Amino acid sequence: MAFLGGTLNTVGAVFLTHAVYSTSEHTATFPHAPLPLDITLELLFSILILSAGIVLSSPTLKPIQWARWAGRIQREGPHGEGKWTREGEEILSEGDPFGFLGLDGGIAGKGEGRRGFWDVRGKRKEYTEWVKEGGSR
Amino acid sequence: MLHPNLLTPPSVIPPPVALQLSQKAPPILSSSPTSSLPWPLSLLFSTESPETWTIHENLFLASLRTGDDVSARKVLDRMTTRFGEHSERIIALRGIYEEALAKNDKELEQVFQGYEKILREDPTNFSIRKRRVAVLKSLGRIPDAITALTVLLENSPIDAEAWAELSELYARQNAWGQAIYCLEEVLLIMPNAWTAHAQLATLYYLSASAQSSNQLQPLTLSLRHFCRSVELNEYYLRGFYGLKVVSRKLLPLLSESSTSSKRNNSEDDDTPPPKLESVKKLEELATSKLAEIIRQYNSRTQGWTGFSEAEVTAARELLDADGKIER
Repeated sequence: MAFLGGTLNTVGAVFLTHAVYSTSEHTATFPHAPLPLDITLELLFSILILSAGIVLSSPTLKPIQWARWAGRIQREGPHGEGKWTREGEEILSEGDPFGFLGLDGGIAGKGEGRRGFWDVRGKRKEYTEWVKEGGSR
Repeated sequence: MLHPNLLTPPSVIPPPVALQLSQKAPPILSSSPTSSLPWPLSLLFSTESPETWTIHENLFLASLRTGDDVSARKVLDRMTTRFGEHSERIIALRGIYEEALAKNDKELEQVFQGYEKILREDPTNFSIRKRRVAVLKSLGRIPDAITALTVLLENSPIDAEAWAELSELYARQNAWGQAIYCLEEVLLIMPNAWTAHAQLATLYYLSASAQSSNQLQPLTLSLRHFCRSVELNEYYLRGFYGLKVVSRKLLPLLSESSTSSKRNNSEDDDTPPPKLESVKKLEELATSKLAEIIRQYNSRTQGWTGFSEAEVTAARELLDADGKIER
């Protein structure tokens, strides 16, 4: 789909440029004559092709229903979309927007908790114990 | 499995993942994100992006967790030179660093005194106020932590994160009423948070198990909030799991109360118990949704891999136990 959209965009842009250039030349040569029909048609045709190309090459729409949108986040989980930062970290898709509330781990769960209240000593202790046990995966 | 990511770290970081995260320190520390050129040129040749500093912050936390204090210090210094040492966030990160390096409760107490000093100078530093609560929690002084949090919330009542933290602190003390109140405050700020609805429903469910008489009302509320959470998120495993557990608990209670006469009818006007048929339907719905999620997850269907392994296993066990009872 992206390929087809790209092709249509290129073809449309070529036709549009050609139509605009023809118009300019025509008005420069015959300032008082009306524009010939073929130039008008080419202009309209190029705009149609460009519009189709832009629609086809646009990214897929997001669900506009809250439950669907949230369900998709839940189902797919965070996943990469083929973009990386300079540090080599992949930029992931949209995650749970309420994750910062730290409510998904249950009460006194194993999760990370809330960012502002991060329990650094508890996490360090957990890690040292894991290392002492042999660091099994 | 997704590779551990510093930009958006997972919500649960077990030690092996923490190790993998902190091992990313050397390559990141080897190249400087800020340019050393003089001013106008440094703007042109800078390689930093907004993500750079998120990654640095997460790297800092990961290194501290794995005991790589040297890297943590380097990252912290780098952030301090970039944002200045009076930045609220930097002050809080420095606090975390000191907390991590405190060897015993006495040294932690000193960090706490340091926080008090910072707050005397600038009482509006909310990051430090939150760190203060975290230190109190770490010292095991939960009642003090609760008091500190209530003061914080009096000054900033729209801080959803703090309300959620207070709710958890209350829940750890088995103060269900207070915990529920705090989560309702979270819902006032973020009415669409499906996790908050599920957590509130869980609290109602736990408070129902804690009391022996009149379990109908908290269970009804729990059912309602689980329903709302799955209404907001159509594949919310925890919501459906809870829906099933609660409706299974409600069914005998409801059939009991319908056979016996309708007692305290006027008293329960606020939350009338649901109809027996609708609870049955809800349970069927939850079962079918859970079964669908388990099936799709186990067959590794594209777009169904976002669930947590442990949650899916728990759901399967629930369904298996259910099947045995019916057979």
